[in-house]
Amino acid sequence: MDNKPSLSQYFGDKEVPPASQFFDEIGTSPSDMIQSIYLGETEGIQTTTANLFPQNMSSSFTPHKMTDELTFNNVVPTVSTSASVPATSLPDPSTFFDTIGPEPQIMSSKSGITHPTILTEAMDGLSIKNQPVDKEADRRRDAWIPNDEAKKTLMKAQSSPKGSFFPEREVLTMPGLILEEELADALQEVAVKYLGVSSAGSRGVVRAEHVSRDEAGLRELLRTGYLRAAINLTAVLLTAAGQGVGRMHRPTKHTPRSLQLWLTRFAVMSRIKLYDTLVKEAEPFGDLNKPDMFYEFYPETYENRSGSLVPFSLRLLVAELPQHVGKPEEALDRLYAIFGAVQTMLANLREGKTEDGTSTVTEQDKVESIRLWAGRETRVLHSIVNCSLAMKDYRQAARIVWELQEACGSAAARRAASSALCRVWLRAGHLRAARACLQLAQEARHHIWRRRRATTCECVVCIVCIVQEPARRCAACGSAPGTCLQLAQEARHHICPTPDVREYVDLGLIDIALGKYQDAYNNFARAADQEPTNIMVANNLSVCLLYMGRLKEAITVLQKAINSDPERGLNESLLINLCTLYELESSKTNEKKLNLLRMLCKYKSDTIPNVLECLKLS
Amino acid sequence: MDPKEVVEHLVALKVMRLTKPALVSPKIVTCDSKDLPGNILNNYLKDDATSVTQMETLAAGQFLLLPQSFGNIYLGETFSCYVCVHNETNQPVQSVSIKADLQTNSQRILLTTQQNLAPTMLDVDETLSDVIHHEVKDLGTHILVCEVTYMSNYNTLASFRKFFKFEVMKPLDVKTKFYNAESDDVYLEAQVQNITSGPIILEQVSLESSQQFNVKSLNEIDESISVFGDVTLLQPQESCQYLYCLSPRENISKEIKLLAAAKNIGKLDIVWRSNLGEKGRLQTSQLQRMTPDYGEIRVTFERLPNKLFVEEPFDFQCKIVNASERTLDLILKLRSLQDSSLLWCGTSNKKLGPLEPGKSFCVNLTALPINTGLCNISGVSLLDLFLKRTYDYDDVASIYVH
Repeated sequence: MDNKPSLSQYFGDKEVPPASQFFDEIGTSPSDMIQSIYLGETEGIQTTTANLFPQNMSSSFTPHKMTDELTFNNVVPTVSTSASVPATSLPDPSTFFDTIGPEPQIMSSKSGITHPTILTEAMDGLSIKNQPVDKEADRRRDAWIPNDEAKKTLMKAQSSPKGSFFPEREVLTMPGLILEEELADALQEVAVKYLGVSSAGSRGVVRAEHVSRDEAGLRELLRTGYLRAAINLTAVLLTAAGQGVGRMHRPTKHTPRSLQLWLTRFAVMSRIKLYDTLVKEAEPFGDLNKPDMFYEFYPETYENRSGSLVPFSLRLLVAELPQHVGKPEEALDRLYAIFGAVQTMLANLREGKTEDGTSTVTEQDKVESIRLWAGRETRVLHSIVNCSLAMKDYRQAARIVWELQEACGSAAARRAASSALCRVWLRAGHLRAARACLQLAQEARHHIWRRRRATTCECVVCIVCIVQEPARRCAACGSAPGTCLQLAQEARHHICPTPDVREYVDLGLIDIALGKYQDAYNNFARAADQEPTNIMVANNLSVCLLYMGRLKEAITVLQKAINSDPERGLNESLLINLCTLYELESSKTNEKKLNLLRMLCKYKSDTIPNVLECLKLS
Repeated sequence: MDPKEVVEHLVALKVMRLTKPALVSPKIVTCDSKDLPGNILNNYLKDDATSVTQMETLAAGQFLLLPQSFGNIYLGETFSCYVCVHNETNQPVQSVSIKADLQTNSQRILLTTQQNLAPTMLDVDETLSDVIHHEVKDLGTHILVCEVTYMSNYNTLASFRKFFKFEVMKPLDVKTKFYNAESDDVYLEAQVQNITSGPIILEQVSLESSQQFNVKSLNEIDESISVFGDVTLLQPQESCQYLYCLSPRENISKEIKLLAAAKNIGKLDIVWRSNLGEKGRLQTSQLQRMTPDYGEIRVTFERLPNKLFVEEPFDFQCKIVNASERTLDLILKLRSLQDSSLLWCGTSNKKLGPLEPGKSFCVNLTALPINTGLCNISGVSLLDLFLKRTYDYDDVASIYVH
């Protein structure tokens, strides 16, 4: 009669079948759902699939190498960078801590210092001696307030006569390595297994053996993507620092350098998801608030220096850890503890005091410090949101992103936050809220556009569209690219005519949620018109095509995306999508997957946590 | 030939359930530019195809990931799947067709395909595919049966079937409570509980009243603002309580017989969404109230004043409805009981005359409160002259005296 499901047996029926008996033939993993994968291939199939990826990639490969070099230049850590750059030219702190912002050119003013020897020197700067030190920058960066218990011990350390301070075992942080064996290059291993020794080569091993066994070598491994080799090198360096295997629960001497090594090790382990080992190795650090984590604990070595040896990034990373091993609530507690500490320090700063509230700061120092710590505060909030999202606590996530959005200084930042909020709601399935947020983002875009109009002449450019409209020229002045009379006229109505890629994609995502796949496709296609090389857009187009029943095209789009930009295209999630499509298409997928593996070997090093999972190789 | 050898088919069938895709983000690991790794890890993050510019550290990405597991399916949701037949040989295969149907505990449903799937020729490496949608209307075990037919090498039709079994679960638990008010209005409390494994958004909850009632939703302030705030998000096991007021339609409220028979209240219509807008819709069966027992004679007091003062007489109306099958001849008695706080004014033992079934009298009464506080209007009784039976009405209403 009606086509809504009628629930005659609905009330009172309390029994829910256990989830375990749920899937029989359609299993929980796609390899169950999509049935048997044949490892043996016939010659005929091999020849047809081998041509799927044209091998003329070297041309697009070279420019990428060059960008690598560029990032290398930008990466040099120098002790005084942030102090020498005026606050106004720094990126909006809401994006990253204090560095990767929307304007990467900040560091390029410093790109003169790129010589490798200077690089190592700069690194040695971490051990403090013989370096021109910006004391304010150091204080600002290292600031942390010890808890009451730690304070007592620190007072004792400061007041005891030289050589007479013997701390209790309980106040000490006693880390040591857990992971005993060396990690092998994971991609290499898979390649050897599936492609044979000859085609896999032995690139990783060579790399790891040819870098210097110090921080510079470590960075070289990171930069080139040999992450597991980098972890092995941190083990070597930490062992040399007396915190190697078997040193756990034994007193040790901490230096900023040793903690930086731990940070590097943990960060890389986290990237490749070695969580189990990571949690065990991080355990002795606790919440990183023991007295020996503070400079005041070592009055002889670090005279008059205050704050913590622990880099803020390490604090954050360790706090996030429980989230990855099924204890998100614990992670939230720890993150909120950090958030509380940051707020206390910000409150002190706003009163014109130092972060720990012990002395006063100059006005410029205050501005600079607030900028840094507000950026860190935002970063912590982002982590809290991420944790909430992992717990599917969309209410909390949305509340925080909304507050972040309200606090945004610039229209561009507000736009980015509104767009993110749109997606938080989308994930929850709250389409009305998602649409409202997208509208906010659009209003912010119009605002940017209006501002732009006010600051330029007659030829108005929407800064969002400027890239996309280079061909159309202003009829009046004719010179400035990206300006056009029509745009200027539209500006009079205070409306920026063209959404950008992000907005088109958000629109497309809302269409997906509504089940309107054709509309979603159109929106993604518009985004692709603006940025034909955008991997994310190509991926979303492909996903959309599948839901529209066009599997073959979906596969073509992804393959094209990978071929056009292998470095970015060989992304874990994209590979999972492509292999899912392969498995849906045919039962003979092995050769196609091995082709992807060959491409990985050619363009990628050892950055992917689980190659087998990505390629769905059995 | 070995009899155990499985027949190699020329075509392969693959099926994938299309739940909504997921939005993924990169692994977010950042460092200060002055930390040992400098900006190297930050740049990894920035260059990741799944990160969003300017929001790299927030895991609210735009990158869609195809479903990687079958997931759960709930009553009222739409089951969608991709069915794909692929030519696995190196020569064309003739007359390939797919047929899909879904077997539930109670019925067998032929799933309609979007495209016209008349038998077609599949060239080398070609596929025949379709997306199938079906709104799930049964609980329990479902079996998707896909049958592929094609022309074999011996020019005979060959076919094979594959079965995919899944269980449909209950998404929501709805508990209802009814209150029959003196005014003949019915109040419905409906508790909607999320019993799925993830959070859901209740997009719409409405009561479609039956023919006998008009419904008014009491879940909004000023017509539009929901009392639940902006978001009706229910985490697993959480529930939301909705309140509706149902007034009997005029033709019903006039006739006590019809009113007593008006059991059907209406149906609750619930629309929810979950992961990336996955939609579900359920309508409950007809909700039924317990109708109040009016007895043979129904007495209600109307037009009671809101504010009363001690030792000031007040007027109200007593409505007497004949809910029996026979004509009644009634006498109204008013007794001022010993412990009562009310004294009756006016005549007792008043003959009201014959009252036909379904008809009513309205009698004006006056009483004098002698105590303050809450007091029962008691001491009203009716004497039926035919059966010599007395009906007492001591608990019909209370008033508050200042």
